[in-house]
Amino acid sequence: MAWKAIDRVNAPTEESPSLSEPLKEKIRGFFDRYPTKRAVLIPALHMIQDDHGYVGWKAMEEVAELLEITPSDVFDTVSFYSHFWTHPKGEKVVMACRSISCDLLGADRVLDECKKVLGIGDHETTPDGKYSLMTEECLAACDHGPCLMINEKMHKCVDPANVRKILEDDANDKLDIPRSNLYDGANRTSA
Amino acid sequence: MAKIILNNQEVETREGIPVLQAALEAGLNVPHYCYHPGLSVVASCRLCLMEMKMPHPKTGELGWAPKLMPSCQTPVRDGMEVRFDSDKVHENQERCMEFFLLNHPLDCPVCDQAGECHLQDYSYHFGKSESRMVDQKHVTPKKDVGPRTLLYSDRCVMCSRCVRFCDEVAGTGELCITNRGSKAEIDAFPGKPLDNPMQGNVVDICPVGCLLDKDFLFQQRVWFLKSADSICTGCSTGCSIRIDQNEDHVHRLKPRFNPRVNQWWMCDEGRFGFKYIHDKNRLTRLRLRRGESFESFRWESLAETVRYRFENIAKKQSDKKIAVVLSPFLACEEAWLLVKTIREIAPNATLILGPVPTVEQDERFPVGATNGDTKFIIRKEKCPNRNGIELIIKHFGGNTETFDAFVEQASAGEYAAAWISGGYPTEWVSKDFAKAAGKIPFKVVHDLFGSALTDEATLVVPACSFAERDGTFVNATGVVQPFARAIKPPQGCKRDGQFFYELAELEGLYQSPTVLGMMAAEIDEFKEVYVPPQLPEHQH
Repeated sequence: MAWKAIDRVNAPTEESPSLSEPLKEKIRGFFDRYPTKRAVLIPALHMIQDDHGYVGWKAMEEVAELLEITPSDVFDTVSFYSHFWTHPKGEKVVMACRSISCDLLGADRVLDECKKVLGIGDHETTPDGKYSLMTEECLAACDHGPCLMINEKMHKCVDPANVRKILEDDANDKLDIPRSNLYDGANRTSA
Repeated sequence: MAKIILNNQEVETREGIPVLQAALEAGLNVPHYCYHPGLSVVASCRLCLMEMKMPHPKTGELGWAPKLMPSCQTPVRDGMEVRFDSDKVHENQERCMEFFLLNHPLDCPVCDQAGECHLQDYSYHFGKSESRMVDQKHVTPKKDVGPRTLLYSDRCVMCSRCVRFCDEVAGTGELCITNRGSKAEIDAFPGKPLDNPMQGNVVDICPVGCLLDKDFLFQQRVWFLKSADSICTGCSTGCSIRIDQNEDHVHRLKPRFNPRVNQWWMCDEGRFGFKYIHDKNRLTRLRLRRGESFESFRWESLAETVRYRFENIAKKQSDKKIAVVLSPFLACEEAWLLVKTIREIAPNATLILGPVPTVEQDERFPVGATNGDTKFIIRKEKCPNRNGIELIIKHFGGNTETFDAFVEQASAGEYAAAWISGGYPTEWVSKDFAKAAGKIPFKVVHDLFGSALTDEATLVVPACSFAERDGTFVNATGVVQPFARAIKPPQGCKRDGQFFYELAELEGLYQSPTVLGMMAAEIDEFKEVYVPPQLPEHQH
């Protein structure tokens, strides 16, 4: 083609992780909870994202095979929900709220500071794979803006001056209450 | 039957069909993108909204409901009253059109669909002349979704017809909708491209210029194309098709609606299988053998010569047989004229059905469908008219032979003369057959392409392809269907029907309906010819 077109005829060249056997077994374990195998897709994607950090092309293909649906069905669902990542995600995801209350309380300065400290832009990952940064519409804490969320831990009333301290703290994603063990995010099956 | 009031007029229609279908059948131009009678209803485009009378929840009095209803999703009920001509409905159409064109690149001058695009038509009829959009347009990329198809996401109206086609009719589900809301796009999984045997239909059902056929891309502006209603010769299903040509060059085939045969669809094998029509190696010269070599022969002398030679052989070599090999690519009329002529000259001539090209098995769609839920069949017999030729052979009766037996007898030297009709788009002459044919002293070979057989022939008659002929085919289920010619035969060729007509010593021009009438007087099966109904004018 003389002009640029996205290639869908050839398989993607970038490497992406496969599903490990324990992970597949865990997905199969969900089959009898739902009326159809297709219905297991969302929990399966959660498990994959917990395990790999994102849902790559290979994982999509393999989960499609497992659930007896087409890979395009999986691609459809993964891309519908913006919380599923299709490219590698850092160990910790920093979500900065950009909604109206936070914005009025200085969310743009918090976001700028995050970008400066991490050296990355929106929806990017640091070279060491530790942090990813993204903006969020609302983190549901409008009375405590500006907010930052690191993985599932909420940081409220963030002062731009404190951003560096928060990001350098290793325990910045440690939850006050333990996380639900529904998908066992903490117990990874592979590194 | 149900009676409904449509735009203040009583209309008779069928109970349970979508109101949109009823309105289209009544001749109304109701804009619609996502509704297609062959696919499930999603009511996502919101263009076909109508006003409907409903009982008031408190008083029970009938009145126009405050909200508009999707007419594609509302089934017809006897006595219902709906309207499409109110301000409210027009206002909705206008706003919808503005949304559809919000991110549209307006690249009609370079778009293949221009001229047959429903964005153009609806924008003209129902839209506004200008856009109020001041922000930058959201630009989505082109995608190479399959080996034969290109997807221009920026022209898409997200009707999802293509996605539903792949899921419901082809049963392969290659296409999907990625992202959501205003960012939604049609896409295929990388490495799993749109490559099923039915995929060409997504280009037909795309109401805009989003999905385009690479084969037809930038070949012709559609307003230059002239169409003829024909029948696909790819297999014995006999899909109704439209041949689009310009200046005697066929540019594309499109399916025509036929409720008894192919519904709205056709397969890729048929759609792209017409290229042999314009093959440079086609036979275009009438040639007569003189010793070792051939010389050109005049069409005017053909009938006389052939009749004279066959008469002579029938008289002088009555101990030997005369064969007529009828190809399953011949139209019924042509075969009938040929057999009639030869049987007049040689009443004992043997009728033989030519080889029927066959693959292993039928392909059913959706993939994996069984008898009950099959929506489309690509049949294993790769010729259009085996049933028709068999009907004619059965009608004339007398000496008949299978092709294999004919080859055997011919190699034993039992035949003195033969008319061998070919017309196969691919190589069909086996070594055994060519060798056997060598033992027949006088043979007329009527074929599309040169072969070992034409090298041996006494007289080589160039055949015409299906696009250059007219007549009737009988498909695998016994439906008798007429097809029309689209283009002139190449220079040097004569329409098959015409020279068979002259061979039969009939005067004037060959008209297939006339010959069909003569056949119908003798053969009951040809009394009823099936011509599919036209789709309503504004249905697409």
